[in-house]
Amino acid sequence: MSTDATPLLEVRDLTVRFPTPDGVVQAVSNVSYTLRRGETLGIVGESGSGKSVSNLAIMGLLNRSRTAISGEVLFEGRELLALPPEQIREIRGKDIAMIFQDPFASLHPMYRVGQQLAEAVLAHGDVGKQKAWERAVELLDQVGIPNAANRARDYPHQFSGGMRQRAMIAMALVHNPDVLIADEPTTALDVTVQAQILELIDQVKREFDIGVILVTHDLGVVAETANSVLVMYAGRIMEYGPAAQVFAQPQHPYAWGLLDSMPTIERRLEALVPIEGSPPSLIAPPSGCPFHPRCPYAFAPCPRDQPPLTAPVPEAHLDACHLPWERKLDYGSKRSVARMGDAA
Amino acid sequence: MRRYLRFALFVAALVALAVLAAGCGSSKKSSNTNTTSTTSTNSNVAANGTFPGTFTNGTSAKGGTYTVGWEGSFGFTDNFDPTGEYLGNAWGLYSNLMLRSLVGYKHLPGAAGNALIGDLATSVPTPTDNGLVYTYHLRPNIKWAPPVNRVVTSKDVAYAMNRLASPNDGGQYPFYYTVIKGWTDVQNGKAKTVSGITTPDNNTIVFHLTTPTGDFNRRMSMPATAPIPPEVGACFEGSKSTNGAYGRNVISNGPYMIQGAAGKFTSCSALKPFAGYAGANGSKLILVRNPNYDPSTDPYRKNWPNQFNFVVNSNADDIFAKVLAGQYQDEVSSPTPKVIRQYATNPSLKPRMIPNVGDRTNYITMNLTQPPFDDIHVRKALNYIVDKAALQKAWGGPIPGSIATHIVPPVLYNGGLAEYDPYATTNNAGDTAKAEAEMKQSKYDPNHTGKCTASVCKGVLMISDVRSVDKTMAPILQADAAKIGIHFTIRSVNGAYPVIQKPSNNIPISDRSSWGKDYADPYTFFAELFDGRSIIKEGNTNYSLVGVTPEIAKTVGAHGSVSNVPSVNSDIDNCRATLGDARTTCWENLDKKLMTSVVPWVPYLWPNNVFIVAPNVTHWNYDQFTDGPAYSAVSMK
Amino acid sequence: MALYIARRLLWTIVVVFCVIGISFAIFYLLPAGDPALRFAGKSPSPQLLAHVRHELGLDKPWYEQFGKFTWHFFRGDQFGWPGLGYTYAGGSSVKSLVFSRAPRTLLLILGAAILWLVVGVAIGVLSAIKRRSAVDRVAMGFALFGISTPVFWLGLMALYIFWAKLGWTAGTGYVSPVDSFTGFFSHMILPWCVLALLYAAFYARMTRNSLLETLGEDYIRTARAKGLPERTVILKHGLRASLTPIVTMFGMDVALLVGGAIITETVFNIQGLGYLAINSALQQDLPVVLGVVLITAVAVALANLIVDILYAFIDPRVRYA
Repeated sequence: MSTDATPLLEVRDLTVRFPTPDGVVQAVSNVSYTLRRGETLGIVGESGSGKSVSNLAIMGLLNRSRTAISGEVLFEGRELLALPPEQIREIRGKDIAMIFQDPFASLHPMYRVGQQLAEAVLAHGDVGKQKAWERAVELLDQVGIPNAANRARDYPHQFSGGMRQRAMIAMALVHNPDVLIADEPTTALDVTVQAQILELIDQVKREFDIGVILVTHDLGVVAETANSVLVMYAGRIMEYGPAAQVFAQPQHPYAWGLLDSMPTIERRLEALVPIEGSPPSLIAPPSGCPFHPRCPYAFAPCPRDQPPLTAPVPEAHLDACHLPWERKLDYGSKRSVARMGDAA
Repeated sequence: MRRYLRFALFVAALVALAVLAAGCGSSKKSSNTNTTSTTSTNSNVAANGTFPGTFTNGTSAKGGTYTVGWEGSFGFTDNFDPTGEYLGNAWGLYSNLMLRSLVGYKHLPGAAGNALIGDLATSVPTPTDNGLVYTYHLRPNIKWAPPVNRVVTSKDVAYAMNRLASPNDGGQYPFYYTVIKGWTDVQNGKAKTVSGITTPDNNTIVFHLTTPTGDFNRRMSMPATAPIPPEVGACFEGSKSTNGAYGRNVISNGPYMIQGAAGKFTSCSALKPFAGYAGANGSKLILVRNPNYDPSTDPYRKNWPNQFNFVVNSNADDIFAKVLAGQYQDEVSSPTPKVIRQYATNPSLKPRMIPNVGDRTNYITMNLTQPPFDDIHVRKALNYIVDKAALQKAWGGPIPGSIATHIVPPVLYNGGLAEYDPYATTNNAGDTAKAEAEMKQSKYDPNHTGKCTASVCKGVLMISDVRSVDKTMAPILQADAAKIGIHFTIRSVNGAYPVIQKPSNNIPISDRSSWGKDYADPYTFFAELFDGRSIIKEGNTNYSLVGVTPEIAKTVGAHGSVSNVPSVNSDIDNCRATLGDARTTCWENLDKKLMTSVVPWVPYLWPNNVFIVAPNVTHWNYDQFTDGPAYSAVSMK
Repeated sequence: MALYIARRLLWTIVVVFCVIGISFAIFYLLPAGDPALRFAGKSPSPQLLAHVRHELGLDKPWYEQFGKFTWHFFRGDQFGWPGLGYTYAGGSSVKSLVFSRAPRTLLLILGAAILWLVVGVAIGVLSAIKRRSAVDRVAMGFALFGISTPVFWLGLMALYIFWAKLGWTAGTGYVSPVDSFTGFFSHMILPWCVLALLYAAFYARMTRNSLLETLGEDYIRTARAKGLPERTVILKHGLRASLTPIVTMFGMDVALLVGGAIITETVFNIQGLGYLAINSALQQDLPVVLGVVLITAVAVALANLIVDILYAFIDPRVRYA
C-alpha cells in the first residue's frame, strides 16, 4: 500500500469532440479524476457513455487530426496531451498499458502468442530476439499459464478465453507499467473465469504497486475490486467517490437506477427494473442535465441548468444532480434497505 | 449533401479526363474527305479501269532480306502442301519463288501478267489431234534444291499429277483435270496412276484429253501441277501422311527454297521438317536462295533479295506501322481506311500505296429457288434499287474498289465489257422508279404498287458476316430493299461461307459472297458459280443454284421452286471448248445473258488489291496471276 | 497436409477430364460448320470430304472421339506426353505447338504479375493509410482509370508513344531471353506494363478495402497500444491479415491469364497461347483449342491448390484434415 501523496495520473477537464458531417459528437465532457498507486479506479457506464473514449484519449490512440481534445492529463507530472506523437508512443505500452475487452479479437490471429509478447518487449528497447522470447515466456508463466514455454509457441485460437486474457495481461505487463487500463476485461469471459482475471489484476496491482483503471458496465465487478468508482453518462461524470461510499450511499438517480436494475439472489422480484428510455445522442445531448429525460425524479431546474459536479455536504462524495441532499439521503438509504432484502 | 457534391464533381472530372485522353488517341491529321475526287494527277487512280501496278524508287540491286508482315495467321488450306494449297497468298510464294510448273507467267501487272509462258517447259504448246493432245518439252538442267539436288524430270511432273488425282492426298482442285483421260478412275480408286499422262522420256510429258479444253494450258500453270520428287513424296503417302505434312518439306525447283533444306536425301526417316517453316500455326516462313538454281534457265524472274521472311503479326495497325518504319518491306493484309487515308493525303507517302485491279467480284447472291427471289422481276428490281455508291463507301471509297456492273471484272475480258452496265442508275445510287417498274411486273406485287406486298417479302433471311464492313453494309441494304417492300432479317454469322455453301440451308440471299479467279480465264468464274452440275451438298459455290433440277435438288436437300430454274450448262460447255478471241467473246455473251435473263446476283464491287510498301523498297510490281506482289521482281536497298 | 495435397491432385485429374468433355460438347453442339469442310477447301468432291473427315477422326461419333482423345492425353501419343494429337490445319504436333508458345505467355504473365502485385499492393496500402486525402483520391482515380481503360487502346497508345514517337522501347514481337536479354526486356516492358495496369488497379482497390477493414480490427488497436511504430502496425499486423483475398485473386488471375491474355498478345504480336486459342477457334482447329483449354484448366486447378496451401501458411487458423 503506497502512501505516496503525488497522484500517478491526474485528469482534469478532459473533453473529447469528434466533428462529423452530421454534427459534432460530444463524446467526453469535462471529465476529471485522480489515480494513485495501489489504487483501482472503476469507471462505470452504459455503452456510449464515453468511458472507453476517455481512456483512448489518455493513451494517445485517438486520431488527433480528426478529434478535438482539450483538458489536461498529467502523468507523473508530464502533460500527455501536449506531447508529440513520438513521445506518446514511447509511453504507450511502457509506462501506461491497456488491455481490451475481447482477447480473441485483440490478439493477432496469425502470429504466435509468444511472438506477440516478444514484439511488445522489443517495441521499447532492442534486447535481442532471444531475450525478448525468454521474457515473454517468463511473463506468461507469471500470469498463470501452465507449461508456458510450450504454450508460447501456440496461436491465439489454440488458447481458451481465460488464457487469452491472461496473455493480454502479460503483454501489458512486459515493461512494468505504472498504470494499467483494463477496458471491460471480463465482459467476454465466463463468470468463473471472470473472477480469476479480476483476481489476477488485483494481484498484479499489489505486487507491482501500480494504478489500475477498470472500465466496465458491470457493477458487480466494480464492487469486488475498485477502490474508487466513477459513474459516467453521456460523456459526463454523474457520480465519483470511494467505492464503499458510492455503493452504501449512492447519490445520483442514475446510480440508483443502475443498482436497482441488477437482479439479486437475495430476494424474489416480480420483474426486472430497467431504466426507462435509452442513452441520448451525443451530437445533440439534452439541455441541462443529460439524464433528465429518463430521470423519474427530474424537476424544474433539471432541463434548464447543467448540475455541477460537487459534494452536497462535505462528508458526501461528488455527484452531479440538482436534487436536495435530503432527498438523496432518503432514496439512497431506502434503496440499500430494499437491496438487503426483508430478511435482514 | 456536400459529400455527394464533391464526389460527383470528382467523378465528372475523371470522365472528362478519360474522354480527352481517348480523343488524343485518334488520328492527329484532319481527315481529308476529298480523296474521292478523281481529278488529281495522282497515279494511284485508275485511268481506264486498270492501275499501273508498278512502283520504282531507285535502281534494283541484289541483296537484302525482304520482310513481309502477314496478318493474323497464315491461313493455309493445306499447311503449304502444294497439292492441296488453295490460298492465293501461298500461290504468290510458289509461283514466284519456289515452284516452276510446266507453264507459267511473267509476274507482271495487267494483261501482260496473264500471258502464258513456258516456265518448266520450253514453250506453251498448241494442242494436236483436234485439241486433245498436249505435249510439253522440259527445259534441260533445271535442278531440284537440296536435299534432292538432281535434275527435274518429266516423271516428277507425272508424280505430282497422280498425287493430285488421288483422293487421299488432299488435292483441292482436281476437278479441273477430269478432262484428262483416266483421271476419274484414279479419283474413284479404280486405278493408281492416270492413264492419260505419259512420259516417253525424261524430258517429255504428254497429256491425252477426253474433250477439247481451250484453257488446258492455263490449268497446267497452277501450283498443284508443279513437279514433286517421288522419293520425297513417298515419305508422305498412305498411312504416314497426315494432312499437308509435306508442306514442311516442300522441295523447290525455283530460285528460293525453305530455309533449312540442305544436304543429301538418304531416307524418309532421316528427313526432318525444314527449320524455316514451323507449320500453318507457326509464326514465320523463311525462304533463302536455292543453290542449285540456274538463272540462265529462267528469263522471267529477277530474284533480287537474298532472303524472304514472311512473319505473322496479330496486330494489323502494327504491320502498317512497321512498314512505314521500314522494318517490314511489304504486307499481306488489308490496309484499313485509316491507313489508306494516311497515305492518300500525304504526298510523300502516296506513291508507296499501290492499288491494283483484283480480278475479283463482290456480290449479293440470290437463291433462285427461294421466294421472293424465284421471280426474275424481283431480282431485277433489287439490281435497280441497291445503292452501290454507298456500298463502295462502306468498303472505303474508290481506292479499295470500283463499282461492279456485271459478273466478271473487265480485266479478265482484256478490257471487254468495260462500259456494260445493264442496271445503270444515276451516280450508282439506285433508282426507285426503275425498281418499282420492275417490281410491278412481279407476281409478288399483284396490285402493281411497285412494292412487294406478298408475305414472302417479310422476314427474308439474309446471311451476313461479322466483319466491320458487313455491319456497315447491312443497314444500307435493309433500307434499300425496304423501298420496294422487301424486309430483310439479317443474321450475322462468324464465317458465313459454310452456311451459304450448304444448299439444304435454303438461304435466300447473302451479301457475304465474293469470287476471285483461279487463273485468268472466265471459265474459273462461270464453271463453279453457275454450272448446275457442280452443285454439291456441302462446300457448294453455285449459291444461286443456277441450273438446278428437281433431281439435283433432292440429292442436295434444297427445297423451294426447284423446277424451271434457268440453266446455262450448255453455254458453259460451248465456251469452254472455244479457243482464242472467240472464246473471250463467248464468255462476254454468257455474262450478258446471265445479267439479263438469269439475274442471279447483284454485283456491287470489283475490289482492288491495295499494297503498301516500305521506304527502302526500290522496285515493286503486281503479279496479275497471283493477285499479289511479284516477289520474283521486288528489290530493296 | 500431404494427404490433403494428394487428394487435391486427384481432383485435378477429374477436373481436367470434365473440362475436356465440356470442350468437346461445346465444339460439337455449336452450329459453326463442319471443320472437315473448312480444311477440304473449295468445292471438294464428296470423296475428298470423306477422306478429310476420316483423317481428322470426324467420322466417328463424338463419344468415341472423346474417349480416344482422353486416352491419348493421359497416355501420350506419337508426339510424346501429354498426347494432344495433331492440328487440323497442318498436321503438326499440338503438344510442341503449345509448349513452344507457353514460355512466352508465362514470361508475359510473370513479369506483369510481379509488377501489378508490387504496384497494386503498394498503392492500396498508401491509399488505406491516407484515407480520404488527396493521395487516396488520386490513387483510386488511377484505379478507376486502370479498370476502365480498354487494354487494346492502352496497348496501342503505349506503342504509339513509347515506340513510334519516343523510340524508347522496341516495338511489337517477342525475343527470347536466351537469345538476347536486352531485346527480351525491351520488347516485354510495354506489354508487362499494359497488362499489369488493369490488374494493379484491381489489386490497389482490393488491398485498400481489405486493409481498411483489417485496420478496424481490435488487434490493430492492441498493436498500437503496445507502442509499436505505425509502420509496423500497418505492414506487419495489418497487411498480413489482409492477404487472404489478395492471395485468392492472385492465384486465379495468374491461372486464367495462361490462356486469356488474348488482347495483350494480339496487340503486341507475342504469338502466345491466348492468341493461338482464338485463331484456332476461328479456324475450328479443335485439337489446338483443346490443347490450350487443357493447359489453362490444369493451370487453374494447380493455382487453386497452391493458393489453398498458401492459406494454411498465411493463416494458422486454417488447417486441413
